[in-house]
Amino acid sequence: MGISWSSNSTNTNTHRRRRNSYLNPHQHLHQHQHQHPYPPHLPPPYYYPPHSHSHLPPPQGYYYTSSNPSTTSYMAPPPPQQQQQTPHPPFYFSSPSFSSSSSSSSNINNNNTYNSNYAPNSMPPPPPFYAAPPPITPPPYVDHLTAKKIRNDVNLHKHTLRLQLDHLNPDHHLVSFVFDALFDGSITISYMAKEEEKCRFVPLYPDAFEPITFPFQKGVGQKFCQPSGTGIDLGFFELDDLSKPSPDEDVFPLVICAETRVRDDETHDDYVLDSSSPHMQITQAVLEKSNGSGPFQVKVVRQILWIDNVRYELRELYGIGGSAAADFDDNDPGKECVICMTEPKDTAVLPCRHMCMCSECAKALRHQSNKCPICRQPIEELIEIKISNGDQ
Amino acid sequence: MANSNLPRRIIKETQRLLSEPAPGISASPSEDNMRYFNVMILGPTQSPYEGGVFKLELFLPEEYPMAAPKVRFLTKIYHPNIDKLGRICLDILKDKWSPALQIRTVLLSIQALLSAPNPDDPLSENIAKHWKSNEAEAVETAKEWTRLYASGA
Repeated sequence: MGISWSSNSTNTNTHRRRRNSYLNPHQHLHQHQHQHPYPPHLPPPYYYPPHSHSHLPPPQGYYYTSSNPSTTSYMAPPPPQQQQQTPHPPFYFSSPSFSSSSSSSSNINNNNTYNSNYAPNSMPPPPPFYAAPPPITPPPYVDHLTAKKIRNDVNLHKHTLRLQLDHLNPDHHLVSFVFDALFDGSITISYMAKEEEKCRFVPLYPDAFEPITFPFQKGVGQKFCQPSGTGIDLGFFELDDLSKPSPDEDVFPLVICAETRVRDDETHDDYVLDSSSPHMQITQAVLEKSNGSGPFQVKVVRQILWIDNVRYELRELYGIGGSAAADFDDNDPGKECVICMTEPKDTAVLPCRHMCMCSECAKALRHQSNKCPICRQPIEELIEIKISNGDQ
Repeated sequence: MANSNLPRRIIKETQRLLSEPAPGISASPSEDNMRYFNVMILGPTQSPYEGGVFKLELFLPEEYPMAAPKVRFLTKIYHPNIDKLGRICLDILKDKWSPALQIRTVLLSIQALLSAPNPDDPLSENIAKHWKSNEAEAVETAKEWTRLYASGA
């Protein structure tokens, strides 16, 4: 499965530019969009397992980065149908992120810095990602964006994350999960780890548990089981503290960082890579006990990507599983735009994340309504995500 | 006439309504206007309308699906949310319309409304008052009207 850049992006851009003429606060964003070329087509994905494994998602995602520099102010509504979404491979968009690309990383916590980072003439070489207007100040019109694709080299399947008792070491807990990796790398498990700048995670109580790192080899659908004897005695912590993140959501009870360092230059010669920059996926989870007893249930709260010094938050899109255009069947109600019932759906609504429309109907809808067709939440942004099969 | 430029969506919805009708619901387009549907809804079991066959008309306005279909009962019915002209008080036909809804989902909602009358949001003040003051008696009236007007004869 690959991605094809929207062929009508020119129209959208023109449209945006026109609208933008009276919307100076956002102008830099759009100029940024015009400025950087669409990335060349990426190589075919090669991480599908040879055996059929319907639940195995490719470690790839559709990412949408927003420019909100604060990682805590994003008000993602609680996804109402998360459970029903599990059969779909995790296509993601991410929001928000701060862009701290190495050449412009100063003062990343200042909102204004964003503007200067992306000022049309002083911009550093653009990262191969897409920056969208910040959700914190919704523009007076509904923006229509085209998603860029970035590849996730390593992916922990968040629904497989478990915490189990180490039978050889009573009271000690071991982590297990399934993951995909395109390259060799390592997994680091930390508890009560605080996110620092540049996606570094520092344990608050290193005395209780020193972060432990395990190497892995590339491969998809791998099962990771933490070896006996390396677990943690969670009795050190209050159940209450384990069951939620810190108020600022920068400290999580369980943080798993999957990191790949070896990059295949051949597949990435499209853009310059900082070879010293690791490619990480961080999974932040809380640990709950129902009624204060029984085994711990792991609940993944957030997944973060750190790629080439850009931080992305992963969010699932609802309904994208049925939207693959290449095997679009004109008569499959799950894949068609809910409005025209004719074109494959390729546009998602933010912030509710319902992938439900084709781009044409999305444009038409904007003139009629400000509500998501699926959940009736106000539309803040529309994001177009073209999916196609084959070597794009 | 109006049929020449029929949107694909309407054609598809019509085909699916005919090939996979929802239980207890039939809808078929008029021959001279494909936007006009003759609808029949069977009274849901365990409702006062059980055993009745209710005729409705459904019209897809030019703006459909950005605007809701217009639906009206043609069969007389004793229901707090349906007035004597057959107009229906249902949020999805008004402000809660969404283009993701379809003819099928609208008709299913109307069928559900027959199972769950809502006298707190009445269209027929008198019937609603009757329903709230003496539900058993109102239900009897509804059953009587079903026998009288919706027997399918």
